[in-house]
Amino acid sequence: MKHAVSAAGIAIALLLAACGGTGSTSPGPASGGATVPTPPAAALTGAGSTFDYPFFSAAFYAYNQKFSQVTVNYQSIGSGGGIQQFAKKTVDFGATDVPAKDSELQPIGAAGTVQMPVTLGTVSLAFNLQGVNDGQLKLTPKTISGIFLGTIKKWNDAALAADNSGVSLPDQPVTVVHRSDGSGTTYIFSDYLSGVNSDWKSKVGTGKSISWPTGQGAKGNEAVATTIKQTPGAIGYVELAYVLQTNMTQAKLQNKDGDFVLPSPEGATAAAGQYLVTSPAQFSIVNAPGKDSAPISGYSWVMVSKDQTDKTKGTALVDMLDWLVNDGQQYAANVHYARLPSSVVQNDVAALKTITSAGSTLLTVGAS
Amino acid sequence: MSQGTAETVVPVPPVMLRHRRHRVDGDRIFQCLAISAGILVLAIAAIFLLALFVPALPAIREFGLGFLASRDWNPVSLRFGALPFLYGTVITSLVAMVIAFPIGIGAALFLADDARLPFIRVPLSFAIELLAGIPSVVVGLWGLFILVPLMRTSVEPFLSHTFGFLPFFQGPYSGSSYLTAGVVLAIMVLPILVALSRDVIRAVPRSLREASLALGATKAELTWSVILPYARIGVTGAVLLALGRALGETIAVTMVIGNRPGISGSLFAQGYTLPSVLANEFTEATGKIYQGALFELGLVLVSITIAVNVLARLLVWRFKGASEASVV
Amino acid sequence: MSRVALRVLLDQLVTGLIILCIMAAAIPVVILLLFVVIKGLPGITAPGFFTDLPHPIGVPGGGVFNAIVGTLVVVGIASLLAVPIGTLIGIFLSEFGRNRVGYAVRFVSDVLTGLPSIAFGIFGYTVLVATLGHFSAISASAALAVLMLPLILRATETALVLVPNSLREGGLALGAARWRVTLQIIVPAALGGIVTGALLAMARAAGETAPLLFTTLGNEFLQLNPGRPMGTLALTVFKNALVPYSSLQDQAWAAALLLVLIVSVTNILARVYVRRVQR
Repeated sequence: MKHAVSAAGIAIALLLAACGGTGSTSPGPASGGATVPTPPAAALTGAGSTFDYPFFSAAFYAYNQKFSQVTVNYQSIGSGGGIQQFAKKTVDFGATDVPAKDSELQPIGAAGTVQMPVTLGTVSLAFNLQGVNDGQLKLTPKTISGIFLGTIKKWNDAALAADNSGVSLPDQPVTVVHRSDGSGTTYIFSDYLSGVNSDWKSKVGTGKSISWPTGQGAKGNEAVATTIKQTPGAIGYVELAYVLQTNMTQAKLQNKDGDFVLPSPEGATAAAGQYLVTSPAQFSIVNAPGKDSAPISGYSWVMVSKDQTDKTKGTALVDMLDWLVNDGQQYAANVHYARLPSSVVQNDVAALKTITSAGSTLLTVGAS
Repeated sequence: MSQGTAETVVPVPPVMLRHRRHRVDGDRIFQCLAISAGILVLAIAAIFLLALFVPALPAIREFGLGFLASRDWNPVSLRFGALPFLYGTVITSLVAMVIAFPIGIGAALFLADDARLPFIRVPLSFAIELLAGIPSVVVGLWGLFILVPLMRTSVEPFLSHTFGFLPFFQGPYSGSSYLTAGVVLAIMVLPILVALSRDVIRAVPRSLREASLALGATKAELTWSVILPYARIGVTGAVLLALGRALGETIAVTMVIGNRPGISGSLFAQGYTLPSVLANEFTEATGKIYQGALFELGLVLVSITIAVNVLARLLVWRFKGASEASVV
Repeated sequence: MSRVALRVLLDQLVTGLIILCIMAAAIPVVILLLFVVIKGLPGITAPGFFTDLPHPIGVPGGGVFNAIVGTLVVVGIASLLAVPIGTLIGIFLSEFGRNRVGYAVRFVSDVLTGLPSIAFGIFGYTVLVATLGHFSAISASAALAVLMLPLILRATETALVLVPNSLREGGLALGAARWRVTLQIIVPAALGGIVTGALLAMARAAGETAPLLFTTLGNEFLQLNPGRPMGTLALTVFKNALVPYSSLQDQAWAAALLLVLIVSVTNILARVYVRRVQR
């Protein structure tokens, strides 16, 4: 069965070499081939969030190993870019950490779009301080707001010292690093800050692109992480995967219940578990109650057109997304994202079933 | 060259007449082709400007001329202004020219003078030409990983301690700054500045130089009193062309400037330039106003660059003669 | 000190300053190349750098095969567009260009050379991406072609103008038509300069990043269809420079080294060629 699938895949790839891309043709891991739909050959393009780029990078590579006739070219240009390019239909799917509003999705409109969570991650506060190691720095909503509002300017500020009695904080200026592009990660972070600090809520607010009171900008989660790594005294908000994969130091964050947690996929799962409903209208899981909840967590979403004009491409797209929220989740765990709760997966598959091309449903296989 | 043969003044036999008509037609076709190719260039330039202008209209109508003076850049409340980026573009280019001008003129003087150390002139000239070919992204890569830490650990602290009384060397520093961007830009415009200045200086008539040396002037006096005044206009043109290049440089600057839309008197501060904000935010601008604002920024950038370039070319052409092709 | 001695001292001072200046001007390229070679050599000599596709982030290894192919395709198509048209326009300017149209063309082309590279990217996006509805290598090629056009145009014109008039007159005196003289006598004589101009323009295009950011977008997989997004070496350097993974940063240096090698060798070859052809 496995050989037949690979052989068919290679044959299709050879036949349609001009229209599709090619990947390495080593046989991929067998994962119950009967329930995973075999997609037609296609070269898919997606763009958007840098938040889930580590997950996408690993997953799409694995998917191409499994089905060499499909290449999923994902470019992380930020959630704002993902929404914009998807609305303009220059990409086949968009990815964003905050669901797009109807006004942003014109002319397709929210009615013509399927928005579904594909991964669950958490934001960590990474910093660069000599002598202060991973997890040694404790940050509360008050100090986080202070740092990003610019009221806490030095590392040995009284407010920081009060929470970190065992740690010697240097007399060094704090360099805040934030996003320079339209970012869903910024949305999640500013959503959190608006929830815990009324000053922030009135002065700055929540959004993908906000007017930062202080700090320097970097494009994408990647560049924020690089900047923090290279700048002593820097602190910024970065998706967890980047921090863990590059051995950066992050702080323990105080959650709603008052417990200090080190952001982790388990913390994200704990936070997500506090909410029964997840939809484009109700998606925020920041500042969740529960003693293990990581306070700055969020889903990351994929946007797909409900009506696919190209049937082959549309079929490849829904097949790939079906795999992504089912079997593909194993790659999420490898790169420090949390698996989607099963209720969310069921909603996603149901949403995928609503995608049609010229009236007929494209998804032919159910969840594994 | 040997004399032609076939054509005479005598009435031409019919065979030749037919042949001649063919030739004229061939010539005419060639001429038409060539002229249409020329018009193609003009058409492309027109489309170029339209591609910038038309999408910018919504923003132009919304903000008017105040756009150029506004410090806002808020995609949430849809209030946009060009001032922080204009400031950043101008400041970084100025820093670049301040650094590159003396070095460039000195280098050009060396290279233009045939009498100085000829065996070393060729490799030095070659080195500078090689610099011209290095892609912007490579200079940016070096700037990001080598220059920025160097600035943060050595140069900016030094400037802060020694020249901290000057307002532009005050304030916190983290390596990415207007100053670092200026240094990177200086490196990038140096080759064009040197090459053009060298040509301009070489164009100073030999007779003038020899006459002044014959009168007993030292080389320094020759340079100061004869060459530089004579070449003044052409050198200004060269400087303007280099400035035009600095204004438009995108990638290397984006990697080292810090990407913060603000205005600060300190050179250590992070900033933003017109090309950088376009590179960073173009793909994500949602809505006609935000997009229009970015296109308008592009229009401002292109207008400034065109103005500087036109001025420069006029000066250089006036100095070197209008029909001579330019070096770049 | 006597006045003469003072003047001589000043002269020596100025000479010293000038030598300092030329040193300062020549040093950046040495430093740049040194760092690029030192930091890029480990990556470029790593097995699979030239033949492998990029690995997902966090997985070390991988290569830039897709970027190399992408660079060749994007620059190749851009050259196919720009070189014939640019050469033709250059011929026009040198042979029929002493009029108002010629003046305008020269002026416009000079202005185009000075424009910021990002403007060409905006042009490519508005004209080919927004209209066709997807990112593609060909929109990048179009943007690059417009960028290359003035360079090729001016180089061709210069080369043709340098051909001695006696060749033209001789050909015409032998009874050949104007177009024949141009195409079969003048152009071959100027071929050295024309080829050099084309090569230099291609090297410039290969190193460009800004026009590619929102035209070809980028691609981690191998892509041969120019109607789809493609990655290039310059884009690889830019993106990998900004990620915190040291293995990818090393690849950025290695790709930068490769890019510098390609561009520098092309530049050197072009200039050597023109020096050899010009008797």
